[in-house]
Amino acid sequence: MAEPFISTPVVTDAAESPLAGHYEKGEFGNLDRGVQVTLTERFPLAICDVCAWPGAETKTANAIKKVTGVALTKAGDAVDESAQAFQHAPGRWTVIAANPALPEALAKAAGDNATVVDLSHGRTVLRIDGGQSRRVLSKLFPIDFKSDYFPLEKGIATKHHEIFAQIQRVGDDAFDIIIFRSYARSFWHALRRASDEVGYVVD
Amino acid sequence: MGVDAPDRPEVRVVTSHRRPEGGTAIDRDHTVGFTVDGRQCFGLAGDTLASALLAGGVRVMGRSFKYHRPRGVMAIGVDEPNALFTVTTDGVREPNVRATEIEVFDGLTVESQNRWPSLENDVMAVNQLGGKALAAGFYYKTFMGPVFGPLKGTRFWMMCEHAIRRAAGLGRPGTAPDESRYERINAFCDVLVVGGGLAGLHKAVEEAKAGKRVIVCELEPRWGAGADAKKDSEIRQIVESLDSNPDVTLLARTTVWGWYDGNMLAATERVADHLKTAPKGAPRQRHWVIRAGHVALAAGALERPIVFPGNDRPGVMLADAARRYAETFGVLPGQHLTILTNNDSAYAAAVTLRHAGANIRAIIDVRPEIGAAAQRLADRAGGALKLGHAVVGTSGAKGLKTISVARYNHETQSFAGGSEQIETDCLLVSGGWSPVVHLASQAGAQPVWDKTLQAFLPPDPDRRWSVHGAAAGNLDFGHDLSPAPAPVFEIRHPGKAFVDLQHDVTADDVRLAHREGFRSVEHLKRYTTLGMATDQGKTSNIAGLAIMADSLGKPIPDVGTTRFRPPYTAASLGAIAAERFGDLFPHRLTPMHDWHGDHGARMYAAGHWERPESYNRPGETVEQAYVREAKTVRSGVGLVDVSTLGKIDIAGPDAPEFLNRVYTNGFAKLPVGKARYGLMLREDGFAMDDGTTWRLSENRFLMTTTTANAGKVMSHLELCLDVHWPDLRVHVTSVTDQWAGAAIAGPKSRDVLASCVTGTAVDNDALPFMGIVHGAIAGVPVMICRLSFSGELAYEVYCGAHHGTHVWEALMAAGAPFAIAPYGLEALGTLRIEKGHVTAAEIDGRTTARDLHLDWMLSSKKPFVGSAMMDRDGLTDKSRWTLVGVVSRSGEKLHGGSHVVAGDRDAPGPGLGHLTAMAFSPEMNAYVGLALVEDGENRIGQHLYATDPVRSGTHIPVEIVSHHMVDPKGERMHG
Amino acid sequence: MIIVCPFCGPRDLSEFAYCGDADNLAARPDPAATDPAAWNAYVYDRTNPAGEHAEIWQHAGGCRKFLRVVRNTVTHEISGVTMLEPKA
Repeated sequence: MAEPFISTPVVTDAAESPLAGHYEKGEFGNLDRGVQVTLTERFPLAICDVCAWPGAETKTANAIKKVTGVALTKAGDAVDESAQAFQHAPGRWTVIAANPALPEALAKAAGDNATVVDLSHGRTVLRIDGGQSRRVLSKLFPIDFKSDYFPLEKGIATKHHEIFAQIQRVGDDAFDIIIFRSYARSFWHALRRASDEVGYVVD
Repeated sequence: MGVDAPDRPEVRVVTSHRRPEGGTAIDRDHTVGFTVDGRQCFGLAGDTLASALLAGGVRVMGRSFKYHRPRGVMAIGVDEPNALFTVTTDGVREPNVRATEIEVFDGLTVESQNRWPSLENDVMAVNQLGGKALAAGFYYKTFMGPVFGPLKGTRFWMMCEHAIRRAAGLGRPGTAPDESRYERINAFCDVLVVGGGLAGLHKAVEEAKAGKRVIVCELEPRWGAGADAKKDSEIRQIVESLDSNPDVTLLARTTVWGWYDGNMLAATERVADHLKTAPKGAPRQRHWVIRAGHVALAAGALERPIVFPGNDRPGVMLADAARRYAETFGVLPGQHLTILTNNDSAYAAAVTLRHAGANIRAIIDVRPEIGAAAQRLADRAGGALKLGHAVVGTSGAKGLKTISVARYNHETQSFAGGSEQIETDCLLVSGGWSPVVHLASQAGAQPVWDKTLQAFLPPDPDRRWSVHGAAAGNLDFGHDLSPAPAPVFEIRHPGKAFVDLQHDVTADDVRLAHREGFRSVEHLKRYTTLGMATDQGKTSNIAGLAIMADSLGKPIPDVGTTRFRPPYTAASLGAIAAERFGDLFPHRLTPMHDWHGDHGARMYAAGHWERPESYNRPGETVEQAYVREAKTVRSGVGLVDVSTLGKIDIAGPDAPEFLNRVYTNGFAKLPVGKARYGLMLREDGFAMDDGTTWRLSENRFLMTTTTANAGKVMSHLELCLDVHWPDLRVHVTSVTDQWAGAAIAGPKSRDVLASCVTGTAVDNDALPFMGIVHGAIAGVPVMICRLSFSGELAYEVYCGAHHGTHVWEALMAAGAPFAIAPYGLEALGTLRIEKGHVTAAEIDGRTTARDLHLDWMLSSKKPFVGSAMMDRDGLTDKSRWTLVGVVSRSGEKLHGGSHVVAGDRDAPGPGLGHLTAMAFSPEMNAYVGLALVEDGENRIGQHLYATDPVRSGTHIPVEIVSHHMVDPKGERMHG
Repeated sequence: MIIVCPFCGPRDLSEFAYCGDADNLAARPDPAATDPAAWNAYVYDRTNPAGEHAEIWQHAGGCRKFLRVVRNTVTHEISGVTMLEPKA
C-alpha cells in the first residue's frame, strides 16, 4: 500500500537560502599561501531521508540506485555528478540530487520497502574543497578525516556542539556538510572563521 | 641588555649578567623592547621575560602570597613558583603568568604582581613582622568570628577579612572583555608523545619509522630544551626528519594538561602569545583535543629544591635552571655562586657554569662523602667542597648576599660547631629529581615510591601508555654521575623555611597542621593549602610529604601522594570555551528572521532560537507594542511566526497505534485531514509536552511539539520505538526545519486567507475547526490547519522553509486591507494567558494533567505512557497546586515567578503557589497572570497576594480567578 | 570518554545521551497492568552498582540508534556495545 506522498519542491523564484545576505563571494582570510579551501553553498537541492523497513534494506538501496542512477558502495554510499547518497544510520539514507522530482520518485520506487521524507527545505548543504579542508573540518568536528578512515563517498552523522551535521566525502579533498537550515547562518559563520587561518574563497 | 633604573631613562645596553658568547636560543643581533610596570626594558630575541630580567640584573621578580616577601626566579620553566607577572599587552589582563614562559617581543607589556606600591618597596611586607599571624589554617581559625569579648557577634572580623584578603593574593584579573580569538581543533593519532626532549623525539622517530601517525607536544618553544647544549645539532636533525614526515605533527609551545577517559587528551597550543600580532586568521591559543591510541610520556623530570631557613631569598635558584640560563640564554644568574646539593647532578651544573664564566665559591653537599665522578667535577668547578655541611640561613635585604653554613649530619639531622658565612649572590640548590608523573596519575596510575631516586615513579605502564627517559626515572647526568640523592628534603634549623613558595607555606606550618591533628595527606593539603597554588606544588609536593612523613614517623610511601588532576598547568578558559562565546555562539533562525528585523522586531532568545518579542513602532514601549498587537488579533487579524515549533514526521502502518500509546488521548480514529490536540505524559505520570498532531494521510502524521521540548519529545519517541516497541512499524523524522509556519489569527483571518489562498476553499465547510487543507499562496504550496492558540479564529499556514518569507510577505500583503499586523512572543503570551492555555512554563515537570485541567484528555479506554502511574495518591491529592488565573486588584504590574501568599506584606504566611506567566490583558484591562496554586479550584474568588520580595519588592493584592479568563466557552475559535 | 558505536565507529561522549539502566528499561511492565509495585520498581528502583552496569545510550549526535553499553562505573571502562535491533 503506497503512501500518498507529500513533497514541497523548491520553487526557485520564491525560494530564499538561509545564507541570503550572508554569502559574500570573494577571497578571505590569510592568503599568504594563497587560497587553500573553497567554500560553497549548494542551493537549491532536493534532499530526502529514506528509511528502510527491517529486512528491506537491499530493496531500498536498489530503489535509490534506480532513481538516482548512482551505485551504492558496500557501505551504502555513492557520489555522482547528478546525485549522491549515504547511509547515515542502519538502513537509513540521505539522498541528494538537483532534480526537484527526487522525493516523489524515491517514494514511488521505494514503495512499501521504506518511508521517504522530503527535507529539501530543512537542510542546507555546504561544500568545502581544497588541500586544507581536513584541517578546517577538524576544528569543527571530533571526526577523523584522514583518508584511510574517511574514504571517498562515505557519509556520516555527527555534530558541531548542538548543531547536528551529516558529512559526506565527495572528492579527494572535498566534503559536503549537511546541516539543519535554522543553524545554517551560525554554522556558516563558524566555518568561515575556521577557514580564516588557511585562506579561502567563497564561490 | 637590561632594565633601566627609574631615575635614568636612558637604556643600559650592557650588563655583566649576559655573557659575551653562548646562548642557543637567543639572537644577539635582534634587540626587543618591552615594558615592566611601565618601564622600558630590553632583551634579545629568544629571551624569556625571566632570562631578560636576569640579564638586566633584576633579582626581585615577585612578592609572596601572604607575607609579601621579595622573591626571585627559581626555575626556568613550567615549575617556576615565584616569578609571576600579569601580561597586559593589548589591554587585556592575564594574571599569574610565569616569567619563565613569557617570550619577550617588541611591545610586550607586563605588570609585576602582589606588590603595592612597587615591587622593590612593598608596604605590605610588614606582614612578615606579624610572624605567626598567618600560619596554617589562619583563615579557618580566624573567621569563625570572636566567640567572646566585646566584638562577639559583630561584623568586625568580616571587615578585617576583607582587608587581609586584599593584602594576600596573586595577580588581579581584568574586567575588560577578551577580544582574542581562540579555537578548538580535534586530532587523532596512533601515538601521542608528550615531551619534545631527546627521549620524546627518539620515541617519535621510532614510531614514525613503524608507520604510525604521531603527534609530539612540547610545552617549551624549543625542542630538546632541557638537554645539554652539545646535543643541539642531533636534536635539529631529528626534528627536521620528523617535520618532513606527513604522518608526524610537531607542536611546540603546546602543553598537554589533561588526560580523560578513552585516551582523550587536552592540550593548549600558545599560537601567538609570543608574537606582537597573531598571523591573520590565527588564534591566540588553540585548544587541542587529541584522541591517542597510545600515549608515550616523556615529560622529563623536575629538579627539587631543598627546604632550609631563608630558602626563598632572591638569588636562591635551582641548580639545573642556572645551568640552562647560561647555556640557553647566555645569562649568568650570579657572579659568585654557591651550591647546596644532596646529589651528584649539581656538580655537572657547576662545571658548566664555571665554563660560562662564573666563580664557584663553594659546593655544600649534605652527604659526608661523594663518589669519584662527582669529586672530579668538583675539582674542575673549583671552590671549596664542603661535604657533610648544610646551609642554615641566608641574608641580604633585596637579594642574597651571604649564606650561613654549618657542619651537618643528615642521618641524625644534627648540626655541629658554629656556622660559617660565605658571601655569594646566587645559591644553586639541588634536592634531587622528580619524574613528571602527573599525566600517568591523571590516567589513574598510582605512582610508586622509588627508594634509590627518592622519588615517585610511574607504575608499570598499561597498554594505554608508556613512559620514556627521565620521566621513567632514567636520570642520566653524564660523567658517570650517580642519580641517587641522599634522602634530605629539609634542613631543619630555626628560621622561616618555605616548602610551598607560591602559597607561602612553611615547614613549621606543615608540622603545626600535624600537631593540630591533620594526619591524612589530603587533609594536610587542604588545611595548609600546600600545593594548591597555580603551580600545583611542582616544587613543593615531595618536600611537604617528607615533612609530613617525618612528623608521623612513617616512611614517605606510607603517607601517600595525592592524585593529580587536570590541568597540569593553568589553561585559559578562553581556549577551552573556544567557539562557544561571542559571535560563535550558535543561534537558530526562522526563515522569516530577516523580515522581522527589517520590521522593527526586538528579538528574544528562546533556547537557541531567536524569536520576535514585539514589533515596536517608533516611540512604543514593549508593553505598548504587545498590547496593541494583542488587541489587533482580538479585533482584526495578526500574523505570528511559529516556525520554531517542533515538528516530527511520523510514518508507517503502525503510526496510529504508536500515537495512541504515547498520547493520553485517542489518535487511532483521527480522520485523514484532521488535527487533534494531544498531551504526553512521562512514565512517572507527570505531564511532558503538548501539541497538535495532523493526520496527513492514512499512515502519515505531522506531530508538533512545544519549541522548548522538541528535542526531548523526539528522543522520547525514538526510545519508545527502539527500546519498548520494536515491533511497531513506525519511522520518525525531525522536520522542524523543513517547514516555515505562520499563524494567522483574529476574526478577519479567514477573510485574509480567502483572498490569497488558491487551490482550495477555506470556508467553514471546507476548513472546519481542526481541519487541514492543501493549497497555494503566491504560487507555492501551503498546508493550512485551522487551530488556535490565541482563542480567536485562527489558522496555521505551513510552507517549505525556503518559501517562508515569500509566503509571509504574501500574507502580509493580502492582510493589508484588513490592517493585519505582525505580532511577537509577548502578544502571543498575552493571548494564551487570557485563554488559560498552557506552555512549558506550566508543563514544568512537576505538574500533572489534572493540575493543568487537562484531565479531559486522559483516555480511560487504553493504556498510554504514564497511565499506570498518573493515579498515584500524591498525584491525585486535592491540595495539589493547580492552574488558576490571577488578576491584579491594585493595577500594579505583576511579576512572573512571584509567590502567591495569603497575608499582607508584614505577615505573608507560607507560599501557596507561584505565578508562571503575566501580561497586561487588553480584554480585562488589567494585569493578569497564570499561577499554580495549592487547592487552586477552591480558591477561585479569594483575595490573595502576589509577592516578589527579592527582585521587584512588590506585594500585590490579587484575585484568584478561573484560568479561562476570556471567552471560556471557546465560541470565537469555533466561529 | 569514547563509545564505539557499532554502526558509526568510535565517537566522542558528547555525541551520546544517557537514557537509563538497560535491564530496567527492558523490564517495562505490561502497559495494561496497573500493579503499583511493578510500576514503582520500573520507574524508581535502580541497582546503582559499583562496577559493571548495562546502560542504554542514544547516539543522538550520530545515527540516533539506541545502544546497550556495558560500562564499569568505577573505571569508566566500556566492555561491550551492542545495538538494539528492531524486529523485522
